[in-house]
Amino acid sequence: MKLSYFETGRYVPPPDLPREWPVPPGSYDPATGAAALGGMADRVRFVAELGFDWVSLSEHHYSPRILTPSPVVSAAWLAACVPGIRIALLGPIVPTSNPIRVAEELAMLDTLAPGRIVVGLLRGTTNEYLSYDLNPAESRTRTDEGMELILKAWTEPQPFGWQGRHFQYRTVSIWPRPQQAMPPTYVLGTSGEAGAFAARHRLGLGVSYGTFEAMAQATGYYRQQCAEYGWTPGPDDIVYRANMILGETDEAAEETLRQRDKQAPFPITGPLRDALLQADFTRNIAGEKRPANVGGVLPISFCGGPDRVVEQLRRCREVVGAGVVDLSLQDPGTGGLDAMMDALDLFGRKVLPRVRDI
Amino acid sequence: MAFREGFVEADGFRIRYMEDGEGEPLVHLHGAGGMRLTGAHDLLSRRHRVIVFEMPGFGRSAENTRTGSASELGATMGAAVAALGIGRFNLMATSFGARPALWLAIKQPDRVQAVVLEGSGAIRPPGHQPPSGTPAEIARLIFAHPERLGAVPPIDPAVAARQRALVGRLRGPDRDADLEATMRDLAVPVLVLFGTLDRVMPPAMGRHYKALLPNCHLVFVYDAGHEISTDRPEAFAEVTADFLERHEAFVINRTETVIHP
Repeated sequence: MKLSYFETGRYVPPPDLPREWPVPPGSYDPATGAAALGGMADRVRFVAELGFDWVSLSEHHYSPRILTPSPVVSAAWLAACVPGIRIALLGPIVPTSNPIRVAEELAMLDTLAPGRIVVGLLRGTTNEYLSYDLNPAESRTRTDEGMELILKAWTEPQPFGWQGRHFQYRTVSIWPRPQQAMPPTYVLGTSGEAGAFAARHRLGLGVSYGTFEAMAQATGYYRQQCAEYGWTPGPDDIVYRANMILGETDEAAEETLRQRDKQAPFPITGPLRDALLQADFTRNIAGEKRPANVGGVLPISFCGGPDRVVEQLRRCREVVGAGVVDLSLQDPGTGGLDAMMDALDLFGRKVLPRVRDI
Repeated sequence: MAFREGFVEADGFRIRYMEDGEGEPLVHLHGAGGMRLTGAHDLLSRRHRVIVFEMPGFGRSAENTRTGSASELGATMGAAVAALGIGRFNLMATSFGARPALWLAIKQPDRVQAVVLEGSGAIRPPGHQPPSGTPAEIARLIFAHPERLGAVPPIDPAVAARQRALVGRLRGPDRDADLEATMRDLAVPVLVLFGTLDRVMPPAMGRHYKALLPNCHLVFVYDAGHEISTDRPEAFAEVTADFLERHEAFVINRTETVIHP
């Protein structure tokens, strides 16, 4: 099993910070922000020394919960600051992006840090569509078309035009191109559409936060689709992003879980939340309808002392089929950093060496 | 549809065609399945005099045992256009029709203003076979979303057999060295369209046209199969009409993005 550390640009919020999304930019403290982003390289150096295989990054907007609106900028910075560790962009939000720009920037990163860039192509959560003014009802089709265009821009050797539904370009001809045909690439999502797209293009699948059983539904559908396209994904083709609470003992971890906020940090609430849930109606797990997650607290998938967590990771491998687990050891947007660094250290000493052979 | 049926004599053949619209002539040579009008023809007829030929030996026409090559078929179709009193024209071709169309443009470049190739079969991968099976099976191969089209109309088995024999005789080698050598000198602007879901001709074949033709634009039409004009008629007609109007300059965007002036 490969392990990935989810770096979110840890902005430690003062207690009096407004709690709802979008957080007023006037509340932003430049010194706290500089410490948050400046600390990314230190934390990634630390996890690289512990033996983590990947650092993962994401794209989120308008709140201190995750302070990385541009994963490409984060990745370029970390690639230059920290040698060795693979950098997984999980990922650029495709439906709100210019796909050609995404293809160009990722190819550039792949050239600057050859063999180290991993790409996840993401539809994104509903709240993100408010940031760049996207109609949620179009997010699915824009994602599918945008992903197809990104792959074509990476692989087509001749200049071409694109006559799409949402995107139209008369001339596409990107320089630089990726170092290989394309960087290792995952489609991120649990939907039937995500699984089918990944299978058709021989890409990996990244799922996140759901229970092992729910995620197994998504990865099972993906494997079934891969079989229909005549190939079998390996363990490295499935990534599972999840929260973990790790303590010295099971009891210590459970106590941390009990004290955990029952509300998501910086949520969208009230009528706006309800309207978003109504507008984003195509979410599903392997084709089975489910509601969008707007402002909900993300579950903890792993909780316990080292022994229990090792068993949970083993079960995750068996049930979900994930060969790469991407971890947050503290909810992004909450608390101080010391507890998280202690948990990472403990994970590196007592868990990581025991899950390599899973 | 307001397309009207007509017939024209050329090279000893009585050739059927459908016509509608006014403006610069746009001549269409169909694929191996024969002539079929689509929504794209309607859209294109708003700006062009669209003439859709049924090539000799296809559909309701008499059996064609005379034409010996794609080049000959192209010459016959050029004669048919001339017999309609048309000097210069735009030429559009689908799949099997692409090779005769390219030969016609190569042999008579002064008459052909521009060429548009849909799912072109002029350059084929090694061992390529034309689609076969029941009409429903063929529909699943040539359209990205056959389920959106409703019932597939039946085809007269005798007509299908005649067309298969003719296509088998005229399709020639997968790579026609003579054609490809002369394509390098074709100055006429060519637009090559492939659907991203083309299951008959790999869209990757498009790059060969870019490499060979000195004035070629390759465009992928997203979520379309082999017959783009049926799967995505609006997308097909927009890029085709824009190219026919502006040729190379069609790469310059004219769409206004001002939201509130």
